[in-house]
Amino acid sequence: MISLTHVSKIFDGKRKATALENIDLHIEKGNVVSIMGPSGSGKSTLLNLIGGLDRPSSGDIRVDGENLSELSDDDRTRVRRDKIGFVFQFFNLLPTLNSLENVALPLHLRKWPRKKIEDRAKELLNLVQLDHRLEHLPDELSGGERQRVAIARALSVYPPILLADEPTGNLDTATGREILKLIDDLHSRLGSTVLIVTHDLEVAERCSRTVALRDGRIVEDRRR
Amino acid sequence: MMLFRLLSWPYLRRHLVRWILTVAGIVLGVGVFVAMHTANRSIFSAFDRTVDQIAGSTQLQVSAGEFGFDESVLERVQSVREVGIAVPVIEATVDTNIPGQGSILILGIDMTGDRNLRDYELKDADEAIMDDPLVFLAQPDSLMVTQEFAGRNNLTVNSKIPLSTIEGIQQFTVRGIMSSTGMTRAFGGNFAVMDIYAAQQVLGRGRRFDRIDVRAKDGITIDECQAALKATLGPSFDVDPPSARGRHFEALLQSYSTAMMISSLFALMVGMFIIYNSFAIAVTHRRAEIGILRALGATRGQIQRLFLLESIVAGTLGSVVGAVVGIAAALGIARWISRVLETAGGVAQRVSELQVDASLIALAIVAGTGTSVLAAWIPARNAARVDPVQALQKGKYQVLSVGENRRRRWIALAAFLIASVCLFFSYSKPFFYTGYVLMIGAGLLLAPALTLLLSKTLRPILKRILPAEGTLAADSLVEAPRRTSATVSALMLSLAMVVGFGGFAHSFYSSIQEWMDNALNPDFFVAPSENLATRSLTFPAEISSVIERVDGVDQVQVVRDARVTYHDVPVMVISIETEKVASTVHRTPVAGSLEEMNRLTAEGKGLFVSESFATNLKTKMGDVVELPTPSGLLKLPIVGIIRDYSDLRGSLFIDRSVYRDWWKDDTANIARVYVKKGENVEAVRQRVINTLSSQYRLLVLTNREVRDWIMKLLDQWFAMTYNQIVVAVLVAVLGIVNTLTVSITDRKRELGVMQAVGGLRKQIRWTVWIEALTIGVIGLILGTCLGAVNLYYTLGMIKRDLGGIGLDYIFPSAFMILMVPIILGAAWIAALGPAEAAVRGSLVEALEYE
Amino acid sequence: MSRVLTSAFSTFFVLLQVDPRQIVEEAQRRTTTQSQRYEGTLRVIDARNKVTEKRWQYDRIGSHGSSKAVLRFTAPPEVKGVALLVLNHPDRSSDQWMWTPALNRDRRIALQDRSTRFFGTDFSFEDLEERDTNQFDFKLLGEESLDSAVCWKVQSTPRQAKVSQYTHSYLWIRKDNYAFAQIENYDKDHLVRRAHYSDIRNDQGIWTAHQIDMHDLRRNSHTILTIEKLQYNVPMNGDAFTREALSRES
Repeated sequence: MISLTHVSKIFDGKRKATALENIDLHIEKGNVVSIMGPSGSGKSTLLNLIGGLDRPSSGDIRVDGENLSELSDDDRTRVRRDKIGFVFQFFNLLPTLNSLENVALPLHLRKWPRKKIEDRAKELLNLVQLDHRLEHLPDELSGGERQRVAIARALSVYPPILLADEPTGNLDTATGREILKLIDDLHSRLGSTVLIVTHDLEVAERCSRTVALRDGRIVEDRRR
Repeated sequence: MMLFRLLSWPYLRRHLVRWILTVAGIVLGVGVFVAMHTANRSIFSAFDRTVDQIAGSTQLQVSAGEFGFDESVLERVQSVREVGIAVPVIEATVDTNIPGQGSILILGIDMTGDRNLRDYELKDADEAIMDDPLVFLAQPDSLMVTQEFAGRNNLTVNSKIPLSTIEGIQQFTVRGIMSSTGMTRAFGGNFAVMDIYAAQQVLGRGRRFDRIDVRAKDGITIDECQAALKATLGPSFDVDPPSARGRHFEALLQSYSTAMMISSLFALMVGMFIIYNSFAIAVTHRRAEIGILRALGATRGQIQRLFLLESIVAGTLGSVVGAVVGIAAALGIARWISRVLETAGGVAQRVSELQVDASLIALAIVAGTGTSVLAAWIPARNAARVDPVQALQKGKYQVLSVGENRRRRWIALAAFLIASVCLFFSYSKPFFYTGYVLMIGAGLLLAPALTLLLSKTLRPILKRILPAEGTLAADSLVEAPRRTSATVSALMLSLAMVVGFGGFAHSFYSSIQEWMDNALNPDFFVAPSENLATRSLTFPAEISSVIERVDGVDQVQVVRDARVTYHDVPVMVISIETEKVASTVHRTPVAGSLEEMNRLTAEGKGLFVSESFATNLKTKMGDVVELPTPSGLLKLPIVGIIRDYSDLRGSLFIDRSVYRDWWKDDTANIARVYVKKGENVEAVRQRVINTLSSQYRLLVLTNREVRDWIMKLLDQWFAMTYNQIVVAVLVAVLGIVNTLTVSITDRKRELGVMQAVGGLRKQIRWTVWIEALTIGVIGLILGTCLGAVNLYYTLGMIKRDLGGIGLDYIFPSAFMILMVPIILGAAWIAALGPAEAAVRGSLVEALEYE
Repeated sequence: MSRVLTSAFSTFFVLLQVDPRQIVEEAQRRTTTQSQRYEGTLRVIDARNKVTEKRWQYDRIGSHGSSKAVLRFTAPPEVKGVALLVLNHPDRSSDQWMWTPALNRDRRIALQDRSTRFFGTDFSFEDLEERDTNQFDFKLLGEESLDSAVCWKVQSTPRQAKVSQYTHSYLWIRKDNYAFAQIENYDKDHLVRRAHYSDIRNDQGIWTAHQIDMHDLRRNSHTILTIEKLQYNVPMNGDAFTREALSRES
């Protein structure tokens, strides 16, 4: 499903920084994989590359058969919109849109018919148990609720891949557990491939596979 | 200052483009102000200088408006004991017909006596080339030109110059070249001296002089001499020092310069909003920085001063650049205006050098800087009020507080109410202008609330059209009213100005059109020059009967018009053959009955005036007008008021017989010719041309040519206004660029998220574009509303203080419809850069942006 | 214009052995005639040796203070037909009219400043003026020989400074025939103009200079007036000396 070959990412700046170095990684369909490592180990960079938000400096990234490195910006966006759902640590909800609108946004961008969008958005918010918060703005929601909206948004097109960057990082432990449980549920229900970046060992342990990064290299790849 | 260098400078440098855009507002405002005023001053001083230079040592000038007077007046003047020297003068500008040289100022003087007043030669005999004074006097084609003019055109003694005269284009012979003295620099060196009797002939003066230049006898003061002259000549003549001529000229230019003044104020005000916007944004952006500073112990005062200092720097910089730009543009503008004045008013001046007034420049820079400081005042105060704890928290916007908004609305309402009350007292000048200012103020105060309201109204509409992009764009506007409303205000102001001027122009054009249809209905006109405003060329009235005898001509009406000073206002006296005109022209008087008016005027028992005359000179029906004439004071009651645009300051219509009797002048400067029904106009015109060409070189202008000439004049008159409108719109559009630049920075994360969840570049661009277009739409709506109000006041102001022309309120709908694509197009162009910047940025960075 | 000539042929200063005023008055008395006619040529030679020449026909009726004169230019073509009518008055300035055929009208010539040059020549209008001897003081400076003739040298000073542009003048009057030989005009210490009379002949009993050379020292320019076909006491009609006649005869 996801396959990285010899992927490196070097940030050109005043000081050159190697974020990832010669990464080879293959993730099968339906797996739940956690990526661990200390700050600056390159885990978020890895996730961004897989999500097509960024381009590798070298190497190939294949997502569901598409070689991201060869695609244009807009084509990568198309891959992303059809195949990938994103969950961010800081939720990244649009503050001016209510829950329903936030979830509906990706569908609007795909130009779905209005009725279908509304049905799907409601269905998803139902799924994350927020059917009573449809008209609320992000500011009016708790952290856990916000992350649930974000997850619902990530799943809006039922993507085969879900990428989560520290989904619990900004939440208290209890809420964090709830969110993880939700992701688990969704995985089992929708059968998506899930990739979770975390430095929380508890989170990692719930996943069938854990990849550990340090200084831009894979130092451990453990399957349970 | 330390703070400034440490904090402001890096910020400025990082957002250089935005600051340049901000300062551009001030640059334009100050630039327009300086350019207009420098141009005006230069024209004034060119005129004054010309008057001064050709006056020589003249102390007093005896004149009687533009009509001039009979030669016999000279002896009356010379007989006054207090008069030392009195010499007759004829002055006119005529076309040189030399490519690139334009017109030349001709001074007709009596060479045998004039040298006592004017120095035509240098003391150094070698330089004074006056070939032969006797030949000069004996030959009417003699001309003495300046060294400058001769040099420019490679003229030597006995060279020929073609000049447009009453007898058509005639070859003149250079019989003398004046060395460089003060006088020869008059009219930019395009100056020539002619024998006065020759001038009478070639300029169609008959046995009349334009004026008499006088110097008091030694030992007599100017005042004594003036008093003696006035006593001898009576009220029909003006006896004034040469410098007084500048006054009339100033009056002529006044309405024009006032209009310019107002639009430069508008430009500056638009600039003020742009600056306010930038500072408000900067304060929002730098909240964290301000918070840290406050946490580190900076006082509120220091923070406020920091921002004010920034505004001073920006304002001063913008003003200085604006002043430089303004001065650079002034010469061109001055030349333009003086050309317009020459065509429209037949006034001689030539701008060759700029009159840069240091105090004016200083004033402009102070005004520009002041505007900048004023605009930055509220943002700076807000910056000082930033709460350090809140500021250091991430992700909080400072939104316009509800209280602030409510207060503004109340003030706006109050202003609106007071302004409405003022409407009832608008006959009084202070009330009128207070109302004007308050109305505009109310509009500006309401702008933020209305912007919000409109954005909210537009949101569902946009959501329907483009659910993702549209909603986000509208939300961006709703969420950041501070960012948006100042730009909308700027746009609104400039559009209000557009509507004001556009509406004025529209009403004016349509009124003129109506007037032309009514009053200018002869089939053709006979005039000595293509420029109908040239009154320095006249022709004998017997031409009327010559033309009337031409086969196919039905009627000829001769007109003689000239400017006279009435109660210190230059007005136009137009003498017409009332009965004849009444038979062909039917117009509805503003006051009085048409028949009565025509009858009394024809009988010489009254006169009728234009509406502008009535307004400017505060006269009404029945008032007795006392006109100075060579035969004494002519007292006639006003028996009718009509709309007439022959002269913008006011016209008086008297019967030709009255003119002949009182002015002792039988010349005319326009003949209106009607062709018999069923005759071919063109064929008759040809016959008239053939008849006249043997004796006179008069132009026979078709009705269309005359109308086109008037329209061309109007276009020229309004061209400068249009330029100002363009500038104002440009400034407002810069505001849009500014707002969008900030908007995409503010929404970097939002736009990043949009891309992360599957938004294509095109869709990102669209959001930015829609935001811009929405600002444009809101600006258009508010601008149209405020413009409707502004137009009302503009028309009121024109009627009241700028020429007294009464115009109907016609909202320039077509003009505004034209503005829609222009403004939206401009908004879209303004959005192009920011939109590209939005899609170009790194996504990863955007998502982490805070 | 007549004054050029009046001063040339005789003038206003009669001279007695002892009293300089009587010398000047005697010179004036000897040139009194009924009328005069001649053809004159006026050559102006400027500092750069550029020469311009004009010719005129001169008629005068009466003499001195009450004379009338008409002067009609005959050459060059540009000024041909231009005429000047001069009406002298014993007690005030003369009236002058100029007729310009190209404009078909006459004009009064304002003589508000007599120091200006007479139509581009080296004569000033004042040089052509006829002055009452009572306005001047005369002083006999002695005798001098000029052009091999013995002359009285007389200084004349205006009684009122305003009357003249000159502060004083020196006159040379020939002892043998009371004809003027030379006049020098001074402005303070500077010699401004010098008129030199030559070719003095006896015409009908009147000693007349047929050539006058006026030298403007400031401009370094000469004007030479040459007189031909001179006749005195020709019968003339007074009607010819009016403004109407001026236009009629052009």
